[in-house]
Amino acid sequence: MDLFISQLLNGIGNGVVYASVALALVLIFRTTGLLNFAQGEMALFSTYISWKLASSGLPVVAAILLSMVIAFVAGAIIERVLIRPVEVGRSPLNVVIVTLGMFLAINSFAQLFFGTDPQTMPKPWPSDASGNDERINFLGQSISWAVIALALVLTAECVLLFLLLQKTRLGLKIRAVASNPDSSRLVGINAGAILMLGWALSAAIGALAGSLVAARSTGFDASLMATVLVYAFAAAALGGFDSPLGAVISGLVVGVADALTTQYVDALNGIELVVPLGLILIVLLVRPTGLFGRQTVERV
Amino acid sequence: MPRSLPGRFLVLLLALALATAACSSRDETTTGSGGRDGGGDTSQEGGAEIDTENCAVDPTTEVEGDTIKLVSSFPQSGLTAAFSEIAKGWKAFFEYTNEEQGGVEINGKKYKIETEDKDDEYNAQKTSSNIEELVGTSGDKAFAVFSVVGTANNINIRDFLGENCVPNLLTATGSPAWGNPEYPWTIGSTLAPYTLEGHAFAEYLEAEEPDVKTVAMLVQNDDFGAAYEEGFKDAIEGTDIKVVKVEKYATGANEVGAQLTSLAATKADAFFNGGTLLACPDALKKAQAANWKPVIWVSGTCISKTLTGIAGDAADGVISMTNVKDPLNPIYDDDEAMKLYREKVKQYQPDADIDNGIVAYGWTQAAILVKALENAEKATRLDVMNSVRNLDGVEGGLLIPGAKVTTSGTEDPYMGETVQRVQYNFAEKHFENIGEPVDFEGKTAKLTPKGLISG
Repeated sequence: MDLFISQLLNGIGNGVVYASVALALVLIFRTTGLLNFAQGEMALFSTYISWKLASSGLPVVAAILLSMVIAFVAGAIIERVLIRPVEVGRSPLNVVIVTLGMFLAINSFAQLFFGTDPQTMPKPWPSDASGNDERINFLGQSISWAVIALALVLTAECVLLFLLLQKTRLGLKIRAVASNPDSSRLVGINAGAILMLGWALSAAIGALAGSLVAARSTGFDASLMATVLVYAFAAAALGGFDSPLGAVISGLVVGVADALTTQYVDALNGIELVVPLGLILIVLLVRPTGLFGRQTVERV
Repeated sequence: MPRSLPGRFLVLLLALALATAACSSRDETTTGSGGRDGGGDTSQEGGAEIDTENCAVDPTTEVEGDTIKLVSSFPQSGLTAAFSEIAKGWKAFFEYTNEEQGGVEINGKKYKIETEDKDDEYNAQKTSSNIEELVGTSGDKAFAVFSVVGTANNINIRDFLGENCVPNLLTATGSPAWGNPEYPWTIGSTLAPYTLEGHAFAEYLEAEEPDVKTVAMLVQNDDFGAAYEEGFKDAIEGTDIKVVKVEKYATGANEVGAQLTSLAATKADAFFNGGTLLACPDALKKAQAANWKPVIWVSGTCISKTLTGIAGDAADGVISMTNVKDPLNPIYDDDEAMKLYREKVKQYQPDADIDNGIVAYGWTQAAILVKALENAEKATRLDVMNSVRNLDGVEGGLLIPGAKVTTSGTEDPYMGETVQRVQYNFAEKHFENIGEPVDFEGKTAKLTPKGLISG
């Protein structure tokens, strides 16, 4: 039983990581109706910026906040300079291809600027003399601060996003642009600015997610997001690409399924990824909008 | 090999990083080596072993002019770019040989070594096209291929080179597959075959840790991991040691928390950490966090200062093996070979990281190759291949004391068969030698499951 709970906690620990990257994916989808394949690598680059700032003497929390601001601006610039020009004609494929290009380019730039040696990210939560996360006891199990911090951040992000999208005029505009850019322009919404905002916000969330993931990892290099992005996409697909809550819950499901498979299913030793992929396949067959996604209704 | 760049990168990186290499020795135990008498005139004898009938290019043509051109392909950009440090080591040695020794002497004539290399980003397809371009489709642009990095990468070029009878010398990977007799033109380097690590650990447990009865293993889910798993299981056959759990992780994964929870739950007495790159220090950290304190072996690819630095005190006391002197170990500070290495690498490759074990590995490979070239009867591909395949107790470079390179035709092509077990001292920040070198000379083929060699 203890072992089961330990693995459950391992799964939740990874799950919050997947969820936080999935959340950034969902946010871009909600605001622009597009998938951003470069999300993970943008987060990686921001993570290196956090690391660079922190290793130059800035307190790690300040470094992460500053890196989020930089990511926010950079996200807006990317939308304006790289994405908008290819959106002409409204073929979503154009943008997908550009984000795939960015995926490769940003990863290469990260290696070029920051090198290929593994680095360690200072931890913004309590750690012991060996550099391990401090743990607190909870119901007889010890939980590391990393998991608690990630879970708290994730909850805060969800609440803020919910408030932004559902309770503010800005959120209403964002939803309007995502749902119908042409009509929203006709009622006077500056759709361009809203799209920039969507990219900026998701880049900032990505920067936060990446920095925390790196701090939780033993070490990180430019491959930090390679595996995480696969799981995050799995989580986003499972939850439905337009549901932040779905992304979070599915991220946890994917993480826990992965950990429990590692422990209990010897036949899938080393290929645990099969489990989340199988889950996605079933969900997409049975409920193509994902577990929490909204059905699109076309008026004819 | 499985996945994408990061995965592979890890594997190799580590693999080389430590450059565990080595070499073998004790010629008297070598089987099948025939009447070799010092390596100088062994080519005829070995000649019988390499079938040259189907060579597309005649391997008995002597080099024209006075340069021998070696070509290579290895990652110089991308996630695996760290491997390019190896080349700095061998380039420094070749430059030193050319400038200060007047070159390499074969059959009374001096030749300069010329090298050319291309970046393959660790992509095996690119390795192929690089090598075909460098060697030329008619095999006339280079004499031999040297120190190509990566298992899949070398597998991808061995057919082309074999058909043209162009030597593929001292591949920079520890796969036991370089002993496959069907590819006489490809031979591995002094990197110890991965399967020997299992045997070295099993022997250590039997001799030094009689209380250890159960072992848990973490291995990568590919051939590299299979070499560890099968090698170790093979080594403990007939002893009272049991493997209680093997967890595999996906190639390229940096995070192995769930695997370690599962392994730690077995409370095994010993832990074989076959993780490479970041998975290796992560496994050590997770074992520490789970308060599991077994006797730990780490992959020979995990003894670089970068990775042990990341693991911190979780790496204290871990055991591994190598056959190249560690530039960080102060016991070699006054060692003549180490002093020469430091001086010449600084002089000829000033931007190389001298303390990095993989530079020392590259330097050593060049030193061994130069000896093999000098032992060749004539400057032909066949004679050089025969010479490399019939080395008799050659020492050189930064091989550990007691390690000698002995090969014997296609029966024993393994150079890295003498290894030194080492243990990490966290306070001193380097690995210390423990015990005497272990000699597996001539035994690799016997100790390695057949499927791994013919792979």
